[in-house]
Amino acid sequence: MSNSPLIRTIDLRKAYETEAVTTPALCGVDLDLHEKEFTAIAGPSGSGKSTLLHLLGGLDRPTSGEILLEGRPLSGLSKDQLARLRMTSIGFVFQAYNLIPVLTVLENTAFVLELQGVARAERIERARRILGELGIEKYADQFPNRISGGEQQRVAVARAVVSEPSIVLADEPTANLDSAASLELIDLMRRLNEGKGATFLFATHDARLLDRVSRVVTLVDGRISTDEVRDSA
Amino acid sequence: MKAAIRHLVRNRRRSLLTLLAVLCPVFALVVMFGFASANLSDMFDTVTRVDTGHLQIRHVDTRAAGSATALMQDPSPAIEALAGIDGIEWHTVRLDLPALASAGDRSRTVLIQGVVPEEIDPISSTRSLIVAGTYLTSDSPGVVIGKELADLLRVGVGDDLVLLGAHPETGVGVLRVPVVGIVDAPIAEMGRSVVQAPLALTRQLARSATAATAVVVRVAGVTGPWDSDRIDAVAAKLRAVLPADYVVLDWRDLVPQVDVFLRILNPALLIVAAIFFGLGALVVLNTVYLSVMERTRELGLILSLGASRGRVMRSILSEAGILAGVGAVGGALGGVGLVWIVEALGGIPLPAEYSAFAKAVGINSVLHLRVDAPQVLLAAAAMAVVAVLAAWVPALRASNLEPVEAMRYVE
Ligand SMILES: Nc1ncnc2c1ncn2[C@@H]1O[C@H](COP(=O)(O)OP(=O)(O)O)[C@@H](O)[C@H]1O
Ligand SMILES: [Mg+2]
Repeated sequence: MSNSPLIRTIDLRKAYETEAVTTPALCGVDLDLHEKEFTAIAGPSGSGKSTLLHLLGGLDRPTSGEILLEGRPLSGLSKDQLARLRMTSIGFVFQAYNLIPVLTVLENTAFVLELQGVARAERIERARRILGELGIEKYADQFPNRISGGEQQRVAVARAVVSEPSIVLADEPTANLDSAASLELIDLMRRLNEGKGATFLFATHDARLLDRVSRVVTLVDGRISTDEVRDSA
Repeated sequence: MKAAIRHLVRNRRRSLLTLLAVLCPVFALVVMFGFASANLSDMFDTVTRVDTGHLQIRHVDTRAAGSATALMQDPSPAIEALAGIDGIEWHTVRLDLPALASAGDRSRTVLIQGVVPEEIDPISSTRSLIVAGTYLTSDSPGVVIGKELADLLRVGVGDDLVLLGAHPETGVGVLRVPVVGIVDAPIAEMGRSVVQAPLALTRQLARSATAATAVVVRVAGVTGPWDSDRIDAVAAKLRAVLPADYVVLDWRDLVPQVDVFLRILNPALLIVAAIFFGLGALVVLNTVYLSVMERTRELGLILSLGASRGRVMRSILSEAGILAGVGAVGGALGGVGLVWIVEALGGIPLPAEYSAFAKAVGINSVLHLRVDAPQVLLAAAAMAVVAVLAAWVPALRASNLEPVEAMRYVE
């Protein structure tokens, strides 16, 4: 893999300062992620997975080190520029509470497109299409509280990919799901990765899901302990 | 917009509270303003109609006439000046003469208003206030007195009064005249101290065939002190054409109590309005703040997905704006509706024990309400703006949330 990486981190460090204590969460992470990769970040709770995803997604700033997204450093960006970057280039799937309760499934799916200023007719059409591809079109007009947790997470994945961002960052998207629903969600992400070439980076501490991925980066105490490429799935 | 309305519907109680925080002050202000301006108009009308007119042309007081108004030996230059000016509804000559009125062994100082009975109706409503006897006519000698004065002097219709007129410029004159009518004056003090007599008779007392103290002018199209521009315009024109030894007094000089009332009323209403607005704003600030707190995680999510701070602000402000708009319109319509209903029912009669007070200050014993469209619009618009400004504080807070922290927020 010699082509230039989609994301490169250089000696990335993050320490949380709370009153007297400083908690080191990331202690020098050097990581390259390439287009169309389907990568899992594994590691025990507290190892820094969420912190890494937040930094990569421009939701938080590192204490030191640099992140290059498509060759552009994030360190120089203002708060508003980071918000713009998240809107245009990053898809997010969080562990829970992914959907806006007052919007329908279809409106939630189209929300980022709306932020991007895509015309109404087009964003509805694109949102419907992706819901169809993910087999959840029938929920289009439901409000989030009327569908199951697994379905909500699928809607969140639909929203994350509908705007075709550079990368989808998913922070333990299956943490609140039973194992069947978890595997279904990962398979669905994998299909989007293979079918549409969407790049995924997701955090998990569920070892069973790791069979489905092409690369596993394991964090321990804020450092990369292993980084293995698999040809499975 | 759709999301804003859904948010509002989702928490109906709080939305209602916010709405009421805007609606109630607007409603209360419309009714209060309506009440104040109706009574001010009433007071102004009573005094200018029965007594003073809107303007008076008088002679410059060269002889320091004390409490008596300076005499003009001949009012014709003033009348000629009036002939060339537009916007005058009516005018008449008046001779006010201090006098002592006696009947039997009782006497009282009074002010004789010498009027032209045939001319006075458009200016003065005295004729309609007659409760016994008849009003004056020019050719029959006789006076009209207030009910209160009749009681003080123990006279009735047909009884004679001895009038001892005394003006520093003319000396003393005496006349015996019958009381032809008794009026129920709208202001008690007027009823005690005013005697109306035909101008000719009063001139006899003043020992001058042409004397007058004032030419009383009523300006067209004036319904209350807010129309004082019209009065001022006429006054200015008059001042420009009158000889130098004449002065023009306007209602501020003639009815100082209305002017004082106005000067106190407007700031007082403004202070009350400010208090209402402040209370409304506090409630709005509070409810919107609560709604932002409750939605912290949702706001965090929206910010995480890349919504700009401006968008978050706009969404909070548009919710507040919808409630403020509906509340302001509702309050205005409610207030105007109440005014309308009260007026359709003929006003609110004062309880008997207050009607003496009402009479003393010159307002009707039936309270009226009056809608002043600019005032209503101003109150509604100002409250709506204040409410949105109040919502600005929590909206700003919402837009400055840290996305990750906000998403982790638990209630
Ligand atoms: N906002 C924060 N303030 C202080 N410490 C934090 C904060 N977020 C995470 N941490 C700490 O940083 C370390 C890494 O946390 P995190 O990235 O959430 O790990 P993971 O997602 O792998 O469980 C942990 O020790 C955690 O307690
Ligand atoms: Mg985590």
